Amino acid sequence: MALDFGILIQVLFWGLYAGCIYILLATGLNLIFGVMKIVNFAHGELLMLGAYITATVFVLSGFNPYVLIPFTMFVLGLIGIGVERLCFRPILGTGKLNEIFLSLGLIYIFQNGVALIWGDDRQVLNSPYQTISVPIGDIQLPLDYIIIILVTALILVGLYVLLRRTDLGRALRATSQNRKGAMIVGINVERMDMISFGIGSGLAAAAGTLWVVSGQVFNPYMGSLPAIKAFAIIILGGLGSIPGAIVGGLIYGIAENGAAYFLGGIWKDSISFLILIVVLIFRPTGLFGEEGE
Amino acid sequence: MDKKQIALILGILLVSAALLAGCTQQQAPPQGIKMGAVVSLTGAGSNVGKHMKQAAEMAVSEINAQGGVFVKAYNKKLPITLIVADDETKGDSAVKAVTKLISEDNVDILVGGYSSGVTTATQGVIAEKKVPYVVTGASSPDITRRKDVNTSYFFHYCPTTAMYGQYTILFVDQVMRPAINERFEFPDNRTLRLAVLYQDSAYGKGVLNGVISTITANNLNIEIVSNQSFKLGETDFRTTLTAIKAAKPDVIYPAAFPSEQIPIVTQARRDLNLNTIILAVETNDNPDYYKGIGRFGEYSILESRFSPYTVPPTSVAAADAKFKADYIAKYGAFPDMMGVSTYEGVYVAAKAIENTGTLDKAAVRDALANLQMPQMVEAIKGGIIKFSPDYREVQFELFMTQLIWDDKAGENRPKIVWPENQKEASFVLPDWYQAGTG
Repeated sequence: MALDFGILIQVLFWGLYAGCIYILLATGLNLIFGVMKIVNFAHGELLMLGAYITATVFVLSGFNPYVLIPFTMFVLGLIGIGVERLCFRPILGTGKLNEIFLSLGLIYIFQNGVALIWGDDRQVLNSPYQTISVPIGDIQLPLDYIIIILVTALILVGLYVLLRRTDLGRALRATSQNRKGAMIVGINVERMDMISFGIGSGLAAAAGTLWVVSGQVFNPYMGSLPAIKAFAIIILGGLGSIPGAIVGGLIYGIAENGAAYFLGGIWKDSISFLILIVVLIFRPTGLFGEEGE
Repeated sequence: MDKKQIALILGILLVSAALLAGCTQQQAPPQGIKMGAVVSLTGAGSNVGKHMKQAAEMAVSEINAQGGVFVKAYNKKLPITLIVADDETKGDSAVKAVTKLISEDNVDILVGGYSSGVTTATQGVIAEKKVPYVVTGASSPDITRRKDVNTSYFFHYCPTTAMYGQYTILFVDQVMRPAINERFEFPDNRTLRLAVLYQDSAYGKGVLNGVISTITANNLNIEIVSNQSFKLGETDFRTTLTAIKAAKPDVIYPAAFPSEQIPIVTQARRDLNLNTIILAVETNDNPDYYKGIGRFGEYSILESRFSPYTVPPTSVAAADAKFKADYIAKYGAFPDMMGVSTYEGVYVAAKAIENTGTLDKAAVRDALANLQMPQMVEAIKGGIIKFSPDYREVQFELFMTQLIWDDKAGENRPKIVWPENQKEASFVLPDWYQAGTG
């Protein structure tokens, strides 16, 4: 296949867009894992819930879906807090199997609950900017995708400021680094669990909103594959590492789209896991991971 | 007579009574005919599966309103009990669903089947148990032509990928290519550049093979400049479409389900500015498709045999209109193509049972093989529904529609542009159309 520079830029652009969804999803997952050290397989369902909430409010109110992002993040944050309090808090420390089965159960509850409320049908929404493209050289880049990349960057900057520049952020990082030490210095670690789950869920909601706005099909079962990829990303990037989640998400987005272009669409999902295997062979803790994780 | 003799006589009488009662029970008719409907209520095929289920229910309801199906062996009409199973558009789930229908529900006959890959996964079980199956949605010709499974119990009541692939490519050659050549003043012998984007399944590969064999068999001046595959259920086609765009096609032919075709069309036209004509396979002639593609689907082409929004000017026009009216009255929505073939499939199954007068599966299978009944809602070649003797396929009358924007409906509406005897409008090459190359 002949390599045209304009085509290459477009493929990279689609990869960047896909990477944004993965970054937000994986960062949220890593935040939860970092603080609580639990694995939540239902994280993809939080993305799905975010997609449905945004789509529903958009259809009912007509509000710009980008403007709805903070609202959806807030709603999912509350749902996340509820899930942490009611589901994970009682079983914390009782064993990994309990966490796994609990999150598997949550998957079915969320999927079937959404199917019951909204139906099973695959749906698609149209962004208010869908007809607008931005010419960059010979290429016409859809405005929506530029906005998606900027929104993702904005959210990540906000997360950085929260974690690095605020007392809350320092408390979260302390809990993630050394839970007992955090308790000793007076940090309410259970409150940190709740907040990290809320923020992680909010990030998943943002990913779901951007998924919907970009015109991708959504349905109650859409969260499964992105969740698996998010787990692969956090393993690739290093468990608990937010920079790892960002780099891993970008690598995955670009690699998937590169594979789809050069090898064919059916390689899109396979390449992600091939990369994971290769990285783990040479660096078992992941790109940014630490020993023992 | 002593006590022993009395006891012996009583014992003989009791055993005789028991045997006679058993014989009587064996002669008692079943409570009804159990018809299993295999549909995709969840998963990638769910947009279509709901119509298949609803249409099957409507057909059963109509038949039962007349008392059911007369079965000569019991000298009475038996109502149909429809047992719906969700295959989840997945092979393993379909096998479980079909196994339950056959082993637990003891169905007499099966109808339905949408995804070819999913349907072919169930064939081993069904062939082993020898249950007649009227397949009304899955279009891979392998269903009745494969050699590794005994397909004698499978009856293909919908066009195969070979049939509609051929129809579509002949339309492209006979109508689109001359229109493109005329617009851009290309020489008549310019090769048309075709891109095929197919689902990586028996269905998608079947369409690709149908395209290739039609081009070869008819020596058409069409070149496949790009063929790209995608996994079932894919939602992001941008990169794949970018690869197609790089090949500079004149026409793009996706072989996709509605849940895939919708993002293909919108992403191609909106995100990649692919100013080309996009074709669509008949399974997309579904109300959700028109809604989903919005204005981006304007001027696209859709091969069909039953459309929710147009009626071909054939002898089935009245039946077509009645079916739509009844369906809308019952379900508040327009029916789709797979729904109507499933509706007819239920009637076909019922007719076969009536013809053979028994629920014996082998006899019903033979009755299906020898069936001849008048066409119903969809036009059939020759006006008679019958399965071919070699591969148990039915020849439908197909047509090509072009989607034209309707301001009043706020959606595109189809106009039949081919063949000539069904045409209601001429094919239009839009002003924004760009040929792949000069």
